[in-house]
Amino acid sequence: MNNPWFTQPGTDEGPVLSSRIRLARNLRKYPFHQKLNASAAAGMVAEISGAVPSDFYKLDMQSLSEAEQKVFLEKHIVSPEFLRWDLPRGLMISNDQNVSVMLNEEDHVRIQSVRPGDALADALATANAVDDAIEATLEYAFHTEYGFLTACPTNTGTGLRASYMIHLPCLERTDKFKTLLPAISKFGITLRGIYGEGTESMGGIYQISNQTTLGKTEEEIIQVLQNMTRKVIEHEGHAREKMLTTHRADQENIIYRAYGVLAYSRKITTKEAMDLLSEVRLGYLYGLLDRPRPTKTIYQIMMEIQPGHLQRTAGREMDETERDYARAQYLREIFV
Amino acid sequence: MQQFIGGKKKEIHLCQDCSIKIEMPISFENIFQGFLNSIQSMQTNRPAKPPAAPCARCGMTHEQFKSKGKLGCEDCYQAFAKEVEALFKNVQGSTHHTGKFPRRMGVDIRTRREADDLRRQLKEAVEAENYEEAARLRDTLRILETPRSKTGTNEEMQRTFPDEQQGFEGNTSMNREVPHE
Ligand SMILES: [Zn+2]
Ligand SMILES: [Zn+2]
Repeated sequence: MNNPWFTQPGTDEGPVLSSRIRLARNLRKYPFHQKLNASAAAGMVAEISGAVPSDFYKLDMQSLSEAEQKVFLEKHIVSPEFLRWDLPRGLMISNDQNVSVMLNEEDHVRIQSVRPGDALADALATANAVDDAIEATLEYAFHTEYGFLTACPTNTGTGLRASYMIHLPCLERTDKFKTLLPAISKFGITLRGIYGEGTESMGGIYQISNQTTLGKTEEEIIQVLQNMTRKVIEHEGHAREKMLTTHRADQENIIYRAYGVLAYSRKITTKEAMDLLSEVRLGYLYGLLDRPRPTKTIYQIMMEIQPGHLQRTAGREMDETERDYARAQYLREIFV
Repeated sequence: MQQFIGGKKKEIHLCQDCSIKIEMPISFENIFQGFLNSIQSMQTNRPAKPPAAPCARCGMTHEQFKSKGKLGCEDCYQAFAKEVEALFKNVQGSTHHTGKFPRRMGVDIRTRREADDLRRQLKEAVEAENYEEAARLRDTLRILETPRSKTGTNEEMQRTFPDEQQGFEGNTSMNREVPHE
């Protein structure tokens, strides 16, 4: 059995933190979510849960506390839409948490598979195995010309969303960064911050993914995404080299000060902590920080300082101020 | 392919103090919506043509489809075929799926598709009095239409997931602790 992807060293070895595959499917037998009533939804959820391989845990969303739901959101295992949706839903999750299936999201079936580092093909193979298992007993809505039929025609065909989570701490500060989005979107690829606002994502973490799902094979979609991501990472490399040749001492100062604050502060916001963790990650990765590495990966720490995770650890609801204190304490235990 | 206008984002704030905001790139949706609107105005300019009937299976109307951009069931793809195809061409850049086929139906569909092609070629060959080619095509078609043996995907699938399709009854709550990190 694997460990959760975000605990694996592969997530801390370069600009690519993780590779993610999502497959959207619907059952022939039921209408799509807009036209689905509660009793049909319940039946559909039960049918699909029975078809998912039995080593998956089944969670009843309605029985989870708000903090528990938030934890799944912060882990990107569920979507905000999924949490808002009031019809019966289900969440199936593998032991190692690397594969999950949302039942009755925008589509009846949303399979998700995540691997640490650059491993989209592996992630796809895993998602395909779950897809095949479901399809062995249930009939999908499929059209010989259009492919897999989805509630939104922007997902029709492969139903595939492939994405990388990437760390671009140097590139995001450059002017080049803003010209990048229009350039990659010509290839049907999009880039967005996943822990922050606008293109200025918190912690320098971005998600790059395909927008189009029809007309290319799964392998071709992955290939295009991989090529574009390599380009983006090349630019990150250029920005980093330039920064290190002209401002190495300044950058080292920033990284060590970041480490100091993470190790000793008494109260810290998510935003500040994310940005400092981003500096520290850069420091570890490129030999700019001579301090022992924490036992947890930087991304795991980034996730565990989010509100839902902090409240789950504390076992209670906390207001923002309480969380800022708890976050600082959590970070001290890791870095001091 | 057209301009996916990057950079413009619509944010969904989960709650006021939550640090996670999922950003939806609106460009894609905008193109999609703009496109639906243009179809709509095209049609209002041609009053002779009545609007397409609602989907017979799920009742989704043309108006509903246009306002939300979501389909109500698989039959909607037929009911709104014209709009869907035009949308595929403009937004997806293609109408023709070349990716994965469902394993169970995949072989049958592929066979049917190939057989359709062969029959068309056969008809053409006969019409062109190209009997040698016609004979070859007929043989190929015959092989294709012979019921396939039990080799291949089904057995493969059995090996991958041997009889694991049961037993979730008790697993319905957090008490069955998902092991956390
Ligand atoms: Zn929140
Ligand atoms: Zn319909």
